[in-house]
Amino acid sequence: MQSDRASRTHLGMLAFLASDAVIFLLMLVSNIYLRRSEAHGGQSLLEPGRMLVFSVLLWGSSGVLLLAERQRGRGDRVGAGTLYLVTALLGAVFALAQGLEWRSLAAQGGTISSSLFFSTFYTTTGLHGLHVLLGLPVLLALALLSWTGQIGRRAPGVAAAVLYWHFVDAVWLVLYLVFYVWRGP
Amino acid sequence: MSQRAPAFPKTSARRPSAVWKVLTSTDHKSIGLTYMGVAAVFLVLGGLEALVMRLQLAVPGNRLLAGETYDRFLTMHGTTMIFFVLLPLLLGFTNYLLPLQIGARDMAFPRMNAFSLWLLVGGGLLLYLSPLTGAPSQGWFSYAPLSETPFTPQRGVDLWSAALIVGGYGTTLTAVNVLVTGARLRMRGMLYKRLPMFAWMSWINGFIILFALPCLTAVLLMLEVDRLLGAGLFTRGDPVLWQHYFWLFGHPEIYLLILPAWGLISEIIPVFSRKPIFGYEFVAWSTVAIAFLSFAVYAHHMFAVGLGWPVELAFGTTSMLIAIPTGIKVFNWLATMWKGSVRYTLPMLYAAAFIVQFTFGGVSGVTFAVVPIDWQLTDTYYVVAHFHYVLFGGSLFAVLAGLHYLYPKFTGRFLDERLGRWGFWLNVIGFNGVFLVQHLLGLMGMPRRVYTYPDLPGWGALNLFSTVSGFVLGVGLLLLLVNLIRSRTHGRLAGRDPWNGWTLEWLTDSPPQEGNFSQLPPLHSRRPLWDLKHPDDMDHVRPRRHDKNGHIREEERGHQ
Repeated sequence: MQSDRASRTHLGMLAFLASDAVIFLLMLVSNIYLRRSEAHGGQSLLEPGRMLVFSVLLWGSSGVLLLAERQRGRGDRVGAGTLYLVTALLGAVFALAQGLEWRSLAAQGGTISSSLFFSTFYTTTGLHGLHVLLGLPVLLALALLSWTGQIGRRAPGVAAAVLYWHFVDAVWLVLYLVFYVWRGP
Repeated sequence: MSQRAPAFPKTSARRPSAVWKVLTSTDHKSIGLTYMGVAAVFLVLGGLEALVMRLQLAVPGNRLLAGETYDRFLTMHGTTMIFFVLLPLLLGFTNYLLPLQIGARDMAFPRMNAFSLWLLVGGGLLLYLSPLTGAPSQGWFSYAPLSETPFTPQRGVDLWSAALIVGGYGTTLTAVNVLVTGARLRMRGMLYKRLPMFAWMSWINGFIILFALPCLTAVLLMLEVDRLLGAGLFTRGDPVLWQHYFWLFGHPEIYLLILPAWGLISEIIPVFSRKPIFGYEFVAWSTVAIAFLSFAVYAHHMFAVGLGWPVELAFGTTSMLIAIPTGIKVFNWLATMWKGSVRYTLPMLYAAAFIVQFTFGGVSGVTFAVVPIDWQLTDTYYVVAHFHYVLFGGSLFAVLAGLHYLYPKFTGRFLDERLGRWGFWLNVIGFNGVFLVQHLLGLMGMPRRVYTYPDLPGWGALNLFSTVSGFVLGVGLLLLLVNLIRSRTHGRLAGRDPWNGWTLEWLTDSPPQEGNFSQLPPLHSRRPLWDLKHPDDMDHVRPRRHDKNGHIREEERGHQ
């Protein structure tokens, strides 16, 4: 019964994320499509190298989460809880870095109304950032529940939360490539 | 499953009131009925808006709703009917019926189910609060750049967007619930190939919702980035992008507004023809084909934009293709009735009207797939007539059929037959009276979305006819409403299985108890109740009213 509920929750989250992915896809397409009409959309203001550091932290958080799941499977509540917390911290650092990047871009004239590139850039990365921010309290809750021993080995919600976080990280990989690396059509 | 002792034993002597029960219920049946109740309220609002618009259009040169006032009514009417009437009605049926039909105790996520409902209600409230900050007047399609700040500065548009985003998330979560319920909660033996047709179509509908609604969410977010933050995605960028994204949602939306309705029809026609549905596999798989094609035809709403000839040809072709799986369904319904012992009860009458009107709307839809005809007729009343035939004459009539069919299950009582027949005929005559003549007006060139028209030969008379018929339709729907309320206490008692049905919902009490089933029969065919009633003749390939010797079966005699 437990495993059935877990698989149900997992499947539900999978369906929801499939739906969510469509929003990101359409936002990316609008960026690619609208970029054609601008010779210099302001992409040169971005610093791919600097952001890569923080991106690696975010992607790394997925790895930490995998370790946390392994500890949970072994019944190590404290270890798993600590690793959930580390995941959340890495996510928080990324969100902070993105906020600082936005501020510096705006100071250089790269605002949401300055060019179509930045319109779609802020819209899409903002939506992603919102996903990160929504994930943080969930991860913190996982850490707390784990420390206090309130999640069993197969608690249904955990798998869904983990899936969500991996999804958020995977989306960032695509966003990073399209906005920071790719030079446009 | 182990029973946990309640943490807080009930000590209070006061029982919760009925309203409080509805507000806090996580039972799929209560949620389903609440959806329908909410839809009924919005149907009254949207219907009154339509009647006021018809009054304005009754005579040429009228000034009852001049200029933008008319646009505001147009916007509210369209948005209400599509997002807050048809959608909740169909979600209501899905919520009520899906677990019952597949032998489940509830939906997969009961609490999320309640959350979805209240998100949708919240969306509806936002929509009807929007006039306080300047009523939106950009139409339900909200074409950019007309919906952008320079052209529609009132804040009501932002509330309108918020209403659709909030309601849309409610619907997306419902789709998640439906998909998981259908995938995981089917009883033992309920294989996909044995799903009742309604369950099958609602389940496929979950996929359409899941992929169509995010397109709307994305495009509304982009619109709000433009309106609130001055981004200019659709002004300095490309207004056609709005149309692409909007119709990428908007066309599948039409199908998600009709798939469960088809499901209801596919339940009703076999039961009242006393024959299993003809070509089950074709009806089922054509649904899957439609789900895919519904996304592949979206640009046929944009033939007048100037997409280029190859694109228009491609979308013209796919639009014609979608008529094939749709036609398959219509022919299967007809073949089910063919040589059946058809009982023209109220549900069957509505189903028959559905077939006629929906076919009419479908055929006029195919005419738009012919690109030059579309160029000629786009933005005329021909379009208005077409989509009302599909969504009102089709979808809503199917819902009314379903309502008459399931009312005994909802309440334990029948709807009043005499009042029901009066309502039926007024609805049929009224509906066709309003919209049939609009085809002619469209062919004569009367543009849609305008508040008045010149006094050209025939225009005034046809419009007046349309308006008068609108009021006939209004009276018909009013009678239905009276019947719904009155029969709850005064209707003839129905019992568990008043129509001699075959699917699992008729096994339960009317109304069903909490948890739905005390025990479930073994399932080895598509008609478990047939098997129960005919233990000597289980899995009969062609069970019908007559037995092998041509005599009417004993148990069929008592039923009308």
